[in-house]
Amino acid sequence: MKVTRRDLFVWGAGAAAGMVFSPVPWKLLDDVSIWTQNWPWIPQPPHGPIEVKQSFCTLCPQGCAMKVKMAGGCPVGVAGVSGNPVTRGALCPLAFGVHQLNWHPQRLRAVRHKRVSSSWSEARAAFAKACGEGPIVIVDGRPGSAASSVLASFAEEQKGSYRVALSLETRALLPYEAMVSPVIPASALGYDLERAQTIVSFGAPLLDGWGIPGRFTRLWSERAAGMSEPQLRLIQIEDSLSRTATRAWRWVAIRPGSKNALAAGLARVLVEEHLVSARGPLSALTVSDAALQTNLSESAIRDLARTMVAKPPVLAIAGDERPEIAALNFILGSVGSPGGIVRRSKPTEKYELANAAIPNARAVLIDASVPWDYAPPTDAEIFRFAAWDGGSNRADWLLPAPGFLEEFTDVNSAPTSAVETYGVAPQLTKPMFEIHSAAQFLSAIDSSFTNPETIIHQRCADLFRERAGTVYGQEIMPVAELDSAQKFEAELSKAALWVADAPKSASLLCELKEWPSTSPAESPRNWSAAWAAAVLPPLATKLYRESSLREAPDRRTA
Amino acid sequence: MSARYGMVIDLDRCTGCGACMLACAAENNVPSLPQASARTGLTPMLVRKISNGGEGSERREAFIPILCMHCEHETPCVHVCPQQAVEVDKATGIVMQMPQRCLGCRYCMTACPYHARYFNWWDPAWPKGMEKSLNPGVAVRMRGVVEKCNLCHARLHAAKEKAAAAGKREIDPADYIPACVEACPTAAIHFGNLADPRDPVSQQSHSPDAFRLLEHLDTQPKVYYKSKEPWVRALSEPNSGPSMEAKHV
Repeated sequence: MKVTRRDLFVWGAGAAAGMVFSPVPWKLLDDVSIWTQNWPWIPQPPHGPIEVKQSFCTLCPQGCAMKVKMAGGCPVGVAGVSGNPVTRGALCPLAFGVHQLNWHPQRLRAVRHKRVSSSWSEARAAFAKACGEGPIVIVDGRPGSAASSVLASFAEEQKGSYRVALSLETRALLPYEAMVSPVIPASALGYDLERAQTIVSFGAPLLDGWGIPGRFTRLWSERAAGMSEPQLRLIQIEDSLSRTATRAWRWVAIRPGSKNALAAGLARVLVEEHLVSARGPLSALTVSDAALQTNLSESAIRDLARTMVAKPPVLAIAGDERPEIAALNFILGSVGSPGGIVRRSKPTEKYELANAAIPNARAVLIDASVPWDYAPPTDAEIFRFAAWDGGSNRADWLLPAPGFLEEFTDVNSAPTSAVETYGVAPQLTKPMFEIHSAAQFLSAIDSSFTNPETIIHQRCADLFRERAGTVYGQEIMPVAELDSAQKFEAELSKAALWVADAPKSASLLCELKEWPSTSPAESPRNWSAAWAAAVLPPLATKLYRESSLREAPDRRTA
Repeated sequence: MSARYGMVIDLDRCTGCGACMLACAAENNVPSLPQASARTGLTPMLVRKISNGGEGSERREAFIPILCMHCEHETPCVHVCPQQAVEVDKATGIVMQMPQRCLGCRYCMTACPYHARYFNWWDPAWPKGMEKSLNPGVAVRMRGVVEKCNLCHARLHAAKEKAAAAGKREIDPADYIPACVEACPTAAIHFGNLADPRDPVSQQSHSPDAFRLLEHLDTQPKVYYKSKEPWVRALSEPNSGPSMEAKHV
């Protein structure tokens, strides 16, 4: 058969028409597009069954409840738990990237001795030797937990010292220890924010990482945000326009370092003008002295005092340890009254603070719950537990601790909380390498100590025996209505939260003998100071860098 | 009935914490590349700081989350895309970006008056092992394509699948909540169907305090802002916009 030029034209036209109606080229184009988005070197998300589990964040003392989305056994997303009565579904910004932390390049993967690889057996031998040679000090960042019991018992057994690195919020409550009787430790006190109508913050970053993320922000959002006459008045006293000052009902700009003078001036106006019923010793500072120091006018201080008491109950909150603010609360009648400083839990023992001098110690063991910034004031051999290496730390031993959701642990009441709570954070992921918590490490040295898991079971049984409080899980159940201790513990093991009944009386016996004369030097507030991880989630570092919203400290860069 | 998904963001409630940014980036598998800068990084949700320009105690500041406005009318990015990689979904009103079709010309970035689009300058990468923490519902994108907020489309798909499994045609609104809305600790971001007059978000969008950015362009964004502060509402005026940050802060 002879092929003519006409045949070629017909064939070409037919092919062109066929191509238009054929799905082949479009399918090929589609496949090529998809193929170019799926190069073999592009990281692929994990595959596997999707589950949503509940747990608690243990990277700071607040212990926020979180829903964790798991894919094939790996945490792939975090969200708040709306049914949790404490956090009310809110989390801090860092929590949304926390599931990436276990893979952070600065994750501690092996024991290091003076920056050189070592082993757990060598670390145990070194610590056991130190225990035999002299007194030891154990520093804990989350007192009251099951692991803390092991640490405290070990220190006592060794005739050593158990110390606590308190959160900034709890340190702000320390001045009240001396004011109330019988003495109640700061860790058993809290703020009754829910019943306060006026909150006067002396530099406390109430809307910027202070306390439980969901507690005050939700309260402020519902009762104050955007209202010209809010139900909750937030007055921020600060030298600069912080995030909290930006959103406060009133921002009172004062000269840096003059908060104590303003507190003294306000107390004097409150008493002199009979604005409060309480009587107490006053500072020698006059209102005009306070005006001079704060750069406010005398009339502005008097107006501020009248505004404060116009909508009681009034609560003054300090950003750090400030006896003058505690004295102002005493004058306001806010210590031990609804909407003020309240006792959260039963009397507990007073802790020795970590920043006190450590003379003649042979070794200091620092738990992973203590923020990386903590530097013990000692020359002793330092055993530092941490999940992440923050660099520039003079620890002799760096011991890898469990990271995010890698440990079965318990979560106690958050600092600043007005009610007692208890939760159990289940272990959701398997550790990638050999890690031990400080409590496990000490239990391995002396097996006579009860391990934290047994203590958690015991605590659950003790709480059930009291038949008080309520469990907030999938359902809200009063403990009195639960059938057995096993059911109670099963609920808590699924990250339900036990909340104690509100105390019948908030009243505390308190006395102010004299107006405090001095206050410790003001320390700059680090937004993530309570964050136990030495690093930030890489996404947080990236977004803060690219948005100029806030500066991530250099050492926390991913 | 087709929906018109949109947001009302109450700027008086925004504390600038950045939880929405982090939740968005985690949900959408945004890589944290060290070489990315403020100019070259991916931030589908970006919180900016604005001020009234005052000094001392007269100064006031606010925070404004900027994301794709999902313009309804004459959507600028749709008009300029030579690849039909951007389209307005008729069923939802969501402005969809399809990375498989995008050739990376960046016309859409130039056309977007809100600066809410970002170019993927690098292949996505994470520290070793961290890919196991990625959201399996969202594919990672290659370099050379433009990205933006798609109102967590993967969550919409999941809600549709859930509704279909239950034999329903319509999704339960509680099943479709974008990550930023879920994450906001002050509940400043509200999400809903603007086409439904009973929806609280639709009602809030008609509040006298509600406004949209660059309204004079008549692109009819589906992201509304709300504030009682007149100086914040001035953002809707022609010579304002995200560059307020550069001018005043």
